[in-house]
Order: sequence, then structure tokens, then C-alpha cells
Amino acid sequence: MISIRDVVTKENIKRKNRMDTISQAFFMGSAILSASFIVLIIVFISFKGLSPFLLNYEGYNFQQGTVDLDPVNPISFITGNQWLGGTLGLSSDYGIGFAIINTLIVVFFSIMVSVPISVFTALFIAKVAPPQIANVMRTVVELLASIPSIIYGVFGLGIITQFVVFVSGFFNYQTAAGLSLMSTVIVLSIMILPTITAVSETSIRSVDKTMIDGSLALGASDIQTYMKVVLTAAKSGIFAGIILGVGRALGEATAVALVSGNLFAGIQLNPLGTTATLTSRMLLGIKDTTGIDYDIRFSIGLVLMAVIVITNLTLNFVMKRLGGMHEQ
Amino acid sequence: MNNRALRQRQDNLVRGVIYTFGSIGAIVLATIIWYVVSNGIGLVSLDLIMGDSRTFNTDVYVDTGPGNYPLEGYNGDLELFYSENWGLGFVDTFNRAGNQAVEVGYVHPDSPFNQSLDKNAIDEFGDHLIIEVRPGFTIEKGFTDTAIFLGRNGAAQIANVVNAANVIDEISIQSRGDGIRGSLITTLYLIGMTLLIAIPIGVSTAIYFNEIAKRNRFTNTIRTMVDLLTGVPSIIYGLLGAALFIPLLNNTIQTAGGSVISGALTLAVILLPTIIKSTEEALKVISNDLRRGSLALGASKTQTIFKVVIPSAIPGILTGVLLGVGRIIGESAALIYATGAAIKDEVILTERSTSLAVHIWTVMQGEKPNFELASAIAIIILGVVFVMNFVIKLLAKRLSKAMY
Repeated sequence: MISIRDVVTKENIKRKNRMDTISQAFFMGSAILSASFIVLIIVFISFKGLSPFLLNYEGYNFQQGTVDLDPVNPISFITGNQWLGGTLGLSSDYGIGFAIINTLIVVFFSIMVSVPISVFTALFIAKVAPPQIANVMRTVVELLASIPSIIYGVFGLGIITQFVVFVSGFFNYQTAAGLSLMSTVIVLSIMILPTITAVSETSIRSVDKTMIDGSLALGASDIQTYMKVVLTAAKSGIFAGIILGVGRALGEATAVALVSGNLFAGIQLNPLGTTATLTSRMLLGIKDTTGIDYDIRFSIGLVLMAVIVITNLTLNFVMKRLGGMHEQ
Repeated sequence: MNNRALRQRQDNLVRGVIYTFGSIGAIVLATIIWYVVSNGIGLVSLDLIMGDSRTFNTDVYVDTGPGNYPLEGYNGDLELFYSENWGLGFVDTFNRAGNQAVEVGYVHPDSPFNQSLDKNAIDEFGDHLIIEVRPGFTIEKGFTDTAIFLGRNGAAQIANVVNAANVIDEISIQSRGDGIRGSLITTLYLIGMTLLIAIPIGVSTAIYFNEIAKRNRFTNTIRTMVDLLTGVPSIIYGLLGAALFIPLLNNTIQTAGGSVISGALTLAVILLPTIIKSTEEALKVISNDLRRGSLALGASKTQTIFKVVIPSAIPGILTGVLLGVGRIIGESAALIYATGAAIKDEVILTERSTSLAVHIWTVMQGEKPNFELASAIAIIILGVVFVMNFVIKLLAKRLSKAMY
């Protein structure tokens, strides 16, 4: 007969404890590794993105050969109204200010277009549509969310830009083959639609049933209840969806780069003119993987991260203020 | 009464707006699918998937004489002009630039052109390499012992000239190109390597958070840092790949610039939040009774994790993996930086290459974007992504039904 003393020996317990210590250290190591990537992102992109401001790069040109370039001036980089003053390879006069403003303009208009559509779609799915249609629409939104950005780019360049050319025909306006602020806004608003819709739908569905019943009992029609009670109660959820949408829109790269036209200088307010976002400036025109024209893209990356963080903080602040007003 | 009618009218108006806006998503999805399918379906074929992306020009000849190869089993749409003596058929068609061209339309299985010789390539013994003439090759010119022919002569005349020949001295051909084999293989490599890196780290992290970590400030900090990864745009991950992984690999395994490996490492970081999140969701629904039961039976914490917790969490892990595969297939911005955008036919892990999504990006660049090829690749990507979505839904249903 096996005695319990043979199995639960001191040795055995010690071995198991040792194994536990090792495996826990391994799991903890993995967690620390996962967490370290956000630090690595910031450190390494800063490392590369700050060097154009600190180092003298070597420029090269067929006529003049190798030349020494001055470090980029950080102030004129942030406020600059054109991408590059002087010739490529012979100048370090880079500027990205216009692209920051253009990015904010693009994102603002995309949100303006996308929010009403998304919120009404969410209301449609959550409350108005019959269950079968609501299920179909929910699947549609999920599929839209799963389409990769590059395919939105193909769609944008194949259909949306043609549509813009068609529209501009009415105004006798010559666009750059449809590459424009308008195309960019349309493509982006389609891309953030599923994000805002999904979050808004969840918050609309979680609105307290008693509130709806109360409104109906007071004689409001169902539509009035949806518009005035449900949407108001779901406000903070919808706003959270908008914040997510803004985040996605700011960082969207390939689709935007394909349809924006990658404007070289200036702030674009004409919907039929080309525009440039931070991401399109980063992605287009990579000629070489060394030198200032490549490393400056990491500086744009830093600016992009800063813009995302600042926008997020601002929107969160606004949301808190709005929520606070609602409480009072 | 009047008021009620007014309200009714207002309600109907709003209802109409809700229905209209609610259907926009469906219209957009239908338009995207219609556009991609109508543009690309003509190109989707085994040739596209298995073919080289680059065209090559060369001159071929055969070292045997004419024989008799009766035409069998040609089912192309175009009228075929066939040379029975050589087992080679030609069709009139148009090339990409819109000019008239003659293509090989059919090669008989026993035709000597299956074993034709490449005048411009020799092996180590100085012999010409064997090259297979395939349907789709463009005929540029050629000469036989009796006549010379040019591509612009048309398929009928070329077939006549070839059929009358006793010796084929030379035919200049151009292979078709625009295949995606290299990018497809790269994508598969990327999926395999990325998952191999991301799953162990992601699952271990989730286990740490859910099973081991104590609720203290350290855990909260780490968790916040992992959560922050979710909001990072993919192009920033690309910069991480270019600034960290590429130099790291250049200095350790001597790659030159971006490589498939640096792409996989970058993608692994992108997938981490997804895999951690879905694994954690699965771990949360595992009943504590299972864990206590295992511990009460004398299993150590480690044994409980590996033999009870992880097996029960497999559907959740699988959901994360499928979401990840969808993300890998569709990812473009990060890979443009982390692996480069050079289309390759022969994939080497330590060299630059493109995934399918980046292949689309590359062919969409320039003055004349290749919409047909882009749409054809998009069909493949969309097909995979939609199937993944469907499977994830099924899994989620099973997961919610499972009895824990």
C-alpha cells in the first residue's frame, strides 16, 4: 500500500514550490515584456526622431556631391507651412505645421460626417429595426470593421475619387484626379463608422428600461423617446465612441495616403483641393532607408503621437465637463 | 388633433432619416464588395496565385523535329490557331498597354515546347536550361528554317509559319508576370512566425494578470502600459520595427535592412493586446471551482495553470489567434516600414519582401495604379477576413454555451 508520506515528501513539496517560483517568474517576465513595448516605442522613435534636430546630416546631390546639412530647427519644423524648402537632399528645411492643421481639419470633418450616420445606425440596430434586419446590420458593421485599411484605399481611389471628379464637374473645377480633402473625409468617415456605431449601440442598449417606459407613459411617442431620452442617456457612451473614432482617424495611414494627394504646402480648406495628413507625409515618398529624409519621418511619428495624446486628453476633459453639466 | 398629426409627421420624418442613415453601412459594404469583385474576379486564378510577379523576356528553341500532336481539350474563350506539327497554339489578344499581341494559348502535353531550351541561360556544364512554354506567354518574334514572324503578324499567320517549319530556331517570349506567389508565401511566413512569437508571450501575460498578479500598484502600472498599446496606430508600430527590430537583426544575424523576420516581430507586438485581451476574457469565465478542485487534489499552481486553466481557455485563445491572423493579412502601414515594399518572387526570410496587403500598396503607387491586380488580391484578403469573422462568431457562440 502507498502511504501518503511517500507522495507528500518534503522533497516533493520543495520541488513543486521551486517549479511554481520558476513558472511565476516566467509569466511575470512575459507581462513585463509586453508592457515594455510601449516604453520601447517611445524611446526608440524618440531616439531616431530627435536626431534630425540634433545632428548634422550628410546630404547628397548629383550636381554638388556631398554637402553638410544643418540640423532641422524644431520650431520651424512644428510651425512650417511647407514640407521642404530647397531641393531634396540639399536642404534640411523641413516643416510639418501645415500637415498638423490639415490632419485636424480632415479628422474634424470626418467626425462631422460619421457621427450622425453612426449614431442613427446604432439607434437603428438597437431600437428601431426589426430583429432580423438588426442582426444583418450588426453583421454588416462587423464586416466593415474587419476590412483592412488598404482595401478602403483601393475603394477610395477606384470609386470615391471618381465620385469627386463627377461632383467637381458641376463646378467646372479641375481636381487632381479626384485626390482631395473631400475624398479623404469620405474614406475616413466610412472607416470610423463601425467603431463609433459599435460603441454607441452598446451604450444605447444599456439605457435603463424604466427611463424609456417613463417617457412613453408620459405620452411621448417611441421616436420622441429615442431621440430625446435614449440618446441623451447614452450620451457619454456615444462620446466615448467618438474618442475612439478620432484616435483611429488620426492614425489611419494607407487609405488616407492613397486618396489625399499628399499636398506639399499650405492649409487646405477647399474640399476639392488636395490635402496632406501627418500619416500621408510619413508614408509617401520613401526613397531611401537612411539619411535625413527618412529619419524626419520618425520626427513626424513623434508629432503624431503627441497630437493623438493631446487630442485624447482634450476630448476626455470635454467629456468630463459635459458629464458634469449633465449631473447638475 | 392637429398636434397629433404634426407629431406623426415629425416622427415619420425622423424614422425615415434613421432608416436612411441606418442603411448607409450596408450600401457601402455592398459597393466595396461589388467594386472589388467586378474588377478583380477576372484575374483570380491559379496562374495569379502561383505566378511570378515579374515578367521576363528570353529566347527559346527546341532541339527536336516536328511531330504530330492533335489538338485535345482546349477550352479557352479566344479562337485558337494551332500548329499540329509542334503542339503549340496561338491566340490574338491585347496586352496591358492595350496593344494587339499574340499569346501562347495552348501547349500540347507532349509538345517539345514543354522542354524547350533557353538561349540566354546555361547551367554549369554550358548547356542551355530547359524552360517550359506556358499559355499566357507573349510571342514577340521568332524565326524558323523557312520564315521569320513578328508578334504583330497575328496568331493565324504565326501558326501557319510555325506549322510549316522543320526547325524552330528561335522564339522570343515574354512571361506573363503579375503573379502573387511571393507575396502569398511571405504572408504565410508572417502569419506563422508572428503567431509563434505572439501567442506564448500574449497568453503568458494574460495568465500573469488573471492567475498570478496581486492587486497592487505594480500590476496596475503594467496593465495600463499594456492597455496603452491598443491605442497606438499601426504606422507607429512600423516605426518601432524600423527603429528597433531592423537594427537589432542587422547587428545580430546580419540582415541588410528590413526582412520578413523584422516584419514578424513588429506584427507580434501589434497582436499582443488582442491576444492578451481575448485570452483574459476566456480565463475570466473559467469557474474558480475548477482551479480549487485541481489545487485540492494536490496539484501545484503551475500544474493547475498548464493542465486545467490553459486547456479550458483554448477557445478564447483561438479567437484571439483568428483575430490576429485577420490583422496580419490586412496590415499594411506597419509592414511598409518594417519589411519594405519590394515585391519578391523568391522569398528569403532575412530579406525584404511584401505581404499581400503591401503588394496592393505597391501596385497602387505611381501614375497608373493597377486596379485589376489590386482588386484580385483584395478579393483573396476579404475572403479570408470574412471567413475568420464568421468562425470567430461561431466560436463566441460555443464559448458562451460552454458549461464552466
